[in-house]
Amino acid sequence: MVSEKNHNVSRRQFLTYTLTGVGGFMAAGMILPMARFAIDPVLQSAGAGDMNAVADVSELTEEPQRFDFSYEQVDGWYTSEVTETAWIYQEGDNITALSPTCTHLGCTVNWNSNESYQNQFFCPCHGGRFEKNGTNVPGTPPTEPLHKYEIEVRDGTVYLGKANPQI
Amino acid sequence: MKWTTEDIPSFVAEKQYIDTALVPLLPINFDNSIKQSAAMAEFITVMAAEIERQFHGRMLLTPPFTYLSEEGVQASKERLEHWQQQMKGAEIKHIIFLTADSEWKKVENELDEMLIWMPLVPFENMDSEYKKQIISEQIKQLLPLVVNKWKENP
Ligand code: FES
Repeated sequence: MVSEKNHNVSRRQFLTYTLTGVGGFMAAGMILPMARFAIDPVLQSAGAGDMNAVADVSELTEEPQRFDFSYEQVDGWYTSEVTETAWIYQEGDNITALSPTCTHLGCTVNWNSNESYQNQFFCPCHGGRFEKNGTNVPGTPPTEPLHKYEIEVRDGTVYLGKANPQI
Repeated sequence: MKWTTEDIPSFVAEKQYIDTALVPLLPINFDNSIKQSAAMAEFITVMAAEIERQFHGRMLLTPPFTYLSEEGVQASKERLEHWQQQMKGAEIKHIIFLTADSEWKKVENELDEMLIWMPLVPFENMDSEYKKQIISEQIKQLLPLVVNKWKENP
């Protein structure tokens, strides 16, 4: 009898411990993501968003040219090197840098790569097309212009920041 | 599209546009060839990621198909065909296998899908500028293969 009673108590104790344990897990599950949200913006400011040196002004032409650049991106505790591409051209004093990411579903577009469409950006995936200034050609899948990089020119060097929508 | 919770919803929503799967084939070894196995995994993973970046809007990069070399290429092929059936069932029209393992060349004719075999470029001890140059050279040769496949059979 006594031993049965002890048994019951210890089972209840066991349950209490277990539930506390599970509760602890659940609390951790809720708090950790919140901590991540709180910490992430600080960590992220290290990579994307900064200006990166991409080209010399002297290299630029009226014809868009391809320039690759890379920077370190920090995501949580994981650092990776990201490579991006920009199509850059100069007309008079104006320098334009366009993102090569097709605004349809994100393939990489190329300048003048299809014989049938001279002086346009062409997307190999579903035939999306863009004018030199990034405007999407109506009747092709993309519905907005290519994104434009923020530009800064210092001492003859072109720095690029984030690519933003044109509309 | 990558095999991530970020990209997969787009894949599901835009299925009619994303008709191609890219499947890396990676041999696994624990014996003397373990180093070779790691080098292939490293190389093919980088290449696959770069191809995905180029064709993000039409291509789904699946997790790699891994197999023990010891399993024998015939057995691996049978398992791979199972993947193939599943993908076809999901209305994926083009499948591209990417590997550095020359074993697959022996059965290339028996595969219904496109096999891209690339000779292994070991990245170890390579400085990152040179590495980037190698990658972009290789990719440049590879892109037309994919675009032509689409052209032949849109
Ligand atoms: S991703 Fe460029 S046209 Fe569809």
